[in-house]
Amino acid sequence: MAIAKAERLMNLALCLLGTRRPLSKGELRASIEAYIEAAPVGESGNDDAFNRMFERDKDDLRELGLIIETVEGLDGETGYQARRDSNRLPAITLDVEEAAALGLAAKVWQQARLAGAASGALQKLRAAGMPLAEDGSLSVLETRIPAHEAAFEPLMLAARDRRPVVFDYRKANAVHPEQRRVEPWALEFCRGHWYLAGWDRDRQAERVFRLSRITGKVRSRSLPFTAPVPDHVTVRTTVESWAGETATGTARIKVRAGHGYPLRARAGVTRDLGDGWDELEIPSGHGLDAWLVEFGPDVIVLEPAELRADVIDRLRAVAKG
Amino acid sequence: MAANAIDQTRRMLSLVTYLRERPGARVADVARAFGITEDELIGDLDVLPMCGTSFRGGDLLDIDTDGDRIWWHNPDASGTSTGEPLRLAADEATALLVAARAVATLPGLRESDRQALLRATAKIEAAAGEAAGASSRLSVRFESEGGVFADVDRAISERRRVWLRYYSPARDELTEREVDPIRLFAVGHTYMEAWCRLSEARRTFRLDRVAEIRLLDEPSDPPPVELRDLSEGLVQPAAEDPEVVIEVGPGGRWVAEYYPHDSAEELPEGGLRITLRTPDPASLRRLALRLGRDGRIVSPPELSGSAREAAREALAAYGE
Repeated sequence: MAIAKAERLMNLALCLLGTRRPLSKGELRASIEAYIEAAPVGESGNDDAFNRMFERDKDDLRELGLIIETVEGLDGETGYQARRDSNRLPAITLDVEEAAALGLAAKVWQQARLAGAASGALQKLRAAGMPLAEDGSLSVLETRIPAHEAAFEPLMLAARDRRPVVFDYRKANAVHPEQRRVEPWALEFCRGHWYLAGWDRDRQAERVFRLSRITGKVRSRSLPFTAPVPDHVTVRTTVESWAGETATGTARIKVRAGHGYPLRARAGVTRDLGDGWDELEIPSGHGLDAWLVEFGPDVIVLEPAELRADVIDRLRAVAKG
Repeated sequence: MAANAIDQTRRMLSLVTYLRERPGARVADVARAFGITEDELIGDLDVLPMCGTSFRGGDLLDIDTDGDRIWWHNPDASGTSTGEPLRLAADEATALLVAARAVATLPGLRESDRQALLRATAKIEAAAGEAAGASSRLSVRFESEGGVFADVDRAISERRRVWLRYYSPARDELTEREVDPIRLFAVGHTYMEAWCRLSEARRTFRLDRVAEIRLLDEPSDPPPVELRDLSEGLVQPAAEDPEVVIEVGPGGRWVAEYYPHDSAEELPEGGLRITLRTPDPASLRRLALRLGRDGRIVSPPELSGSAREAAREALAAYGE
């Protein structure tokens, strides 16, 4: 049976951390059982196989935080070393309450990579002496952050490493997806969905994308960003305007008594008309017509006239079937 | 479990540092400290004796266990210098900091817990150094439903029953009910899981739909229930629930984003044919009305019929 990858990575990490001088590739290859077994020196094609494996393994160790230095030796050979002083966690002292709070926070991720990273961080802190918290010593709240979108992980990595991406994106009402070239700045979870804010290279402007509307694969390019990254990026205002929460005016509507609680909750003025109906004044913005039509015969729009016409138009489409 | 080699490697590196300080540590205690099962820990302990620096007279880690305690026989062997905890990786700092910042904004989090979280966040930021920088590229906001949250939180800690006026969007009505709160949780919105005395069943209430809440003097007495696994998703239709088929045009594709469904087939011209199950298809009348010309209910026919009926009634009120 082939030697498990974790064993190979562990050995490479221990070799790189344990050495007092940079080790050459050849030395590492000769001293780690998994390399000897998978790619014995001297058989054809094995040098390439070893090189590929070694490069991947180094990348994996860097993912878990190891800083691996490369040094050009006098003989022209590259040496590798993970120096203790640059890989050490600075002294950190956490009390039991802080440990409990971090334990709660680390559990919120439902996304595999972040969940693994959060547990890994706690384990490093535990090794650094973080005390064990009592179970059930915290607030009663359980919190979960879902991130099921396939685009999440590649975008997170691209934003982390500041690499531009290309993906197909279907706008809310578009028939076909369109290719977008974006410099990803930040991801934000807002109102139960993930959004990406970034620089749209074709439109030469800042744009917000909803991850669930990205179709197909996200491909990243090893190129630099072309536009400056702002200090603060927020998608919330954009999302609110999409959701029609940026009011642009006021609408006057009639609501049947006992119905339309959410409309009443945001009404500025409510007047009992005495005939089983109430008159409400509510803030009006993008998308209000679609929402009002959900209430069917329990809501009637009085004004503005355009809103009334839009709602009637939508009702006609449904009535036709 | 061989799950993920990177996760396992990072765990084993921490484990080695941890075990060095604790000769004879108990398997159960170490598993708990590392947030893993005893089987996972034993799996790691099987791999560790294969690891070390065999290069130039180094040694393999001589770690073994009798299933109860863990012994390391050569912690000072040459080349096994694995004493110090390792720095945090960018992803690790991000995972912890983003989650901590998000949880700290939750309404109703006890003030002492919030303070502990903020202190811990500052310490992690300092210890992570530049690895903390990438954490600003990810952020999470929970919706605040503060007032109701605080009341439910108090009801749970004082074990009291609560009275609710609760809005059901499916029926567009407010109902009054008494419930025994079980727990609060946040998945985007904040929810209360409770035993509903009206329906004698477990129910989930979204806090922004609570129109009014009052703590009662009666003690809360929910029957013992197994807590739902939140990772399965909030809406879990049963196999026997009736099927609803909806066809939408490009303008109605959002339906597939909002409603958990069994399938969504692409249609020509950017449309979708969505099949979902719900215990109460009539509750989708709102959706049928909202869709308008962007979609139609294919089945059941009673649902499309009731939407048509509602639209005609509304048009009559407009004098159409």
